[in-house]
Amino acid sequence: MPIELLVQALLNGFALALVYVLVALGLTLIFSILGIINFAHGEFYMLGGYATYFGVAVFGLHYVPTLLLAIGAVGLAGVVAERLIFRHLRGKTLNAFIVSLGLLWVLQSGAQLTFGVLDKPVPSAFSGIIRAGRVIISVERFVVVLAAVGLIAVLYGFLQWSRVGRAMRAVAQDPDGAALQGVNIEFTSMLGFAVGCALAGAAGGLLAPVFAVSPPMGALPVVKAFIIIIVGGMGSLPGAVLGGLLLGTVEGIGSLFFSSAAVNVLGFLMVIAVLLVRPRGLFGAA
Amino acid sequence: MKGQRCHGWVLMLAAVLALGTAAPAAAAEKTLEIGVLGPLSGGAASYGVELLRGAEMRSDEINKAGGLKVGGDVYKIKLIAYDHKASAADAATAANKLVFQDKVKYIIGNAVGATCNAVQTVTEPQKVMFAFVCWGTNNLGPDKPHSFRSMLSQWEAAEPFYRWIKEKRPTIKKVAVISPNDTSGLDTNTAVVKAVKGLALDLVSEETYERGTKDFYPILTKILAKKPDLLDVAAAPPAEAGLILKQAHELGFRGAKGWTAGVNPVTLVGIAGVEAAEGVWSPVNINVRSDFVDPKVRKFGDEYEKRYKEVPGVIAVANYGAFDVFTKAMQEAGSVETDKVLAALTSRPYDTVWGRLVIGGKETYRIDRQFLYPMVISEIRGGKIVDIEQVLPAALKALTK
Amino acid sequence: MPPSPALRRALIGYGLLAAGSLGLPLVTRDSYHVDVATTILMNLVLTMSLRLEISTGQLNMAHISFMGIGAYASTILMMRGGYSFWITLWVAGVMAAVWAVPIGGLALRVSGPYYFLITFAFSEVVRLIFNNFFAEWFGGPSGLVQIPKPDPLRLAGVQLTFVGKVELYYLMCALLLLAAAVLVRLDYSRFGLVGNAIRQGDVLAETLGVWVFRYKLTAFVLGSFMAGIAGAFFAHSHQVLHSSDFSLEPMVLLVVFTVIGGTGSVWGPVVGTVVLTIASEFMREFHYYEILVYGAVLILTMLLLPEGLISLPGKLGRLVRRGGGGEAEAMGAGVAP
Repeated sequence: MPIELLVQALLNGFALALVYVLVALGLTLIFSILGIINFAHGEFYMLGGYATYFGVAVFGLHYVPTLLLAIGAVGLAGVVAERLIFRHLRGKTLNAFIVSLGLLWVLQSGAQLTFGVLDKPVPSAFSGIIRAGRVIISVERFVVVLAAVGLIAVLYGFLQWSRVGRAMRAVAQDPDGAALQGVNIEFTSMLGFAVGCALAGAAGGLLAPVFAVSPPMGALPVVKAFIIIIVGGMGSLPGAVLGGLLLGTVEGIGSLFFSSAAVNVLGFLMVIAVLLVRPRGLFGAA
Repeated sequence: MKGQRCHGWVLMLAAVLALGTAAPAAAAEKTLEIGVLGPLSGGAASYGVELLRGAEMRSDEINKAGGLKVGGDVYKIKLIAYDHKASAADAATAANKLVFQDKVKYIIGNAVGATCNAVQTVTEPQKVMFAFVCWGTNNLGPDKPHSFRSMLSQWEAAEPFYRWIKEKRPTIKKVAVISPNDTSGLDTNTAVVKAVKGLALDLVSEETYERGTKDFYPILTKILAKKPDLLDVAAAPPAEAGLILKQAHELGFRGAKGWTAGVNPVTLVGIAGVEAAEGVWSPVNINVRSDFVDPKVRKFGDEYEKRYKEVPGVIAVANYGAFDVFTKAMQEAGSVETDKVLAALTSRPYDTVWGRLVIGGKETYRIDRQFLYPMVISEIRGGKIVDIEQVLPAALKALTK
Repeated sequence: MPPSPALRRALIGYGLLAAGSLGLPLVTRDSYHVDVATTILMNLVLTMSLRLEISTGQLNMAHISFMGIGAYASTILMMRGGYSFWITLWVAGVMAAVWAVPIGGLALRVSGPYYFLITFAFSEVVRLIFNNFFAEWFGGPSGLVQIPKPDPLRLAGVQLTFVGKVELYYLMCALLLLAAAVLVRLDYSRFGLVGNAIRQGDVLAETLGVWVFRYKLTAFVLGSFMAGIAGAFFAHSHQVLHSSDFSLEPMVLLVVFTVIGGTGSVWGPVVGTVVLTIASEFMREFHYYEILVYGAVLILTMLLLPEGLISLPGKLGRLVRRGGGGEAEAMGAGVAP
């Protein structure tokens, strides 16, 4: 097998996996702060996609400011969802499961009824391809990867060094202790939920020109995000990045040798195998 | 759009109420209830929604024209549509509701292969007429005399399509085909593979993918390594076909492109982009904006776009056509009794949006239940869909001989 | 010794379930009604057994896969092996239980959200296998069709057939009442008490001498056995099988039924399944809007009744009592000297 083909396969896998890491980070942030799994997370990804579609394709704005607006808008949608719904469900895993499922249906169906049922293309701001020997990546995807890495770095800095970011980590580790230290739990969890949603929205906005937008577009990234966070470990940023790269490797290389169904099975088997060796994921807290 | 439809429902309700109170005095106007099934939500929603819209368009036309005159009676058509969410089990329950609760005798419209089998377990024993666009080979057969496929399937399209390709571009030798891994996808791949091999072309790659896939770089890297002359995105739905072609173009593919089971070229061009969609051939597509297409189809396309703000694909046209054919057969039979309509339906050709339509297909399915009509091979040039040539499916050729 | 109040409640509940399900065909024999009712009874086996597993604190997202294993096992044994339904039915349950031992054994090594996600991974693997591999057995993406209905049964010299909808309904009824008897009995036994202890804290239960893992695995295997039986019934009554019948969507519906009903009581899933199935049949009329309305109903129900529908009477009762009490107090205040 020519080495270029392997490099191309790895590149294929990594490029998108890093975007799905953004979705995964949002999911895991919400989980560690509110103690719930938000199944409607993919719908915030979808909202990010449609916000970008409206900005670029309908109102003719430039892609970059549109993307930033989209991220802000989805973050705001997250604030609304948290205040109206999710703050009542903190720590109630089962109830949050049902409610987020209901929200998933409402948002997906609502999008279909308002925006139409067909996929809508989003014009790309970047064209052309980058070629190194026989290895190829489109400029569009290259920019997406860079942006994803940038956003991951920003998130890392935010959680590590900003006041609210540190408060979020404190709440994630020990809500009662954090409250005793004067952290405003209500505000922090609202902000955590909003940031989580904004990350999903960012991923949706980044991939909108690459994949077009449609009402059910949120289903796929959420499944990928699940795989990434169980492999990496709930609540761990480096874990999610590593999980994403592992998934990218399995999917990229696996696709060369196996059918796509077998590759999907392989992804899930990887999850099972990792959990059997490390029951809380590679980087999960013990 | 939503407001409009609500408005429509309110008006219809008011009309029904008004008719209900006024009816005894007026002439015997009857209601003919027709069922429509399909996924109206979730990942496959575009199929179901197009089916229902096609049905709405035709039934509204009939009702606005005063109703359907059958024998001495005039019928208003009432649609009863249920969402089966692409689930076989739910489709069976929904079909039960249509047949036993709503007492429907006609279900015109259903999509998603596995659900057709489930619906047929209800409709066939009850002798309910059932028209669908599912592409499973086993959906038609002598054991299912009340079931009809209302659009051409891969079994009609693949062979003449590849025969045409071979004549037009003899340089094309190596063919790669890709479809989603469900009933219609696999059956389409099978039909393409059979056609390719029958014409002594070289099949270099046959791939399937999970429906909903967005990133085709991994699969395409494998396919393109085999250096195909022609990439056939056989049964891929428009958006996915568009993504495959876009990504193949990015990965440097510049060969010929086919879409054996293409359903909506406008969406494909939008998503693939003009450059990547250049030169796509397709045999069963319908382009409602084409200059070559029948004025009836053009009018349908315009009105559909005005009403729903989206361009109709072949499925919307197919169900519009199916409504047309079934209601014409009722008039021909002078009755809405299913056995009389069944006899009328299979005994003569009908003039439809498709042109002259015959119900045949015995060679393939051992029973004449497949809608057959001339297919137009089109090519995408500079983002426009250009009709190139009319080709008759083999079964239709045999019938018209 | 007179029965304890808990036992009396269990007997009354079971009696109501039996009377309701056995009596339904006396009220309606309409094919559609009987069909929906049959689906409800089948789903009751699934949700009640799912609740058994939830009561140990674990949400098993692979529950539907064991239904699938039972369905395919029974179908293949009957269509290829020529065995009678009355054998394949039980083999289906056993087959599901046999697979449940290693899968449950592996999955139960993790807990909380990891358990949820690992069982989801298992269920996807099973579905992908049904859909894509061993197509000569499972039918691939086309699924299996023309599955025969259950064979006639000779019981005490009487020939029972299972062709009509009402006959199939009674068969499902019998299966449900058997399963419910076991589940209710368990819930009101030491097993149920241990379950509660485990849910409230593994460590605590462990210190009390409960072998938590073995207990959870028992619930998992028993639940899977029942799911397998339901699967066999599903296959032979629907007569077509497709991998999507055992995918995330129907699984999620089972969880919705169970949790909306209430997981705190063995009767919660019964209430949830019956109410939501009937409600969703009415909601079909909304066609384009059905899923939207359904989603909104779920959100509101869960926010207003976090303990599930089963808590509604108690809540209403408290409300009435509080309201009534308030009035009495106010009146009392009025007449007080």
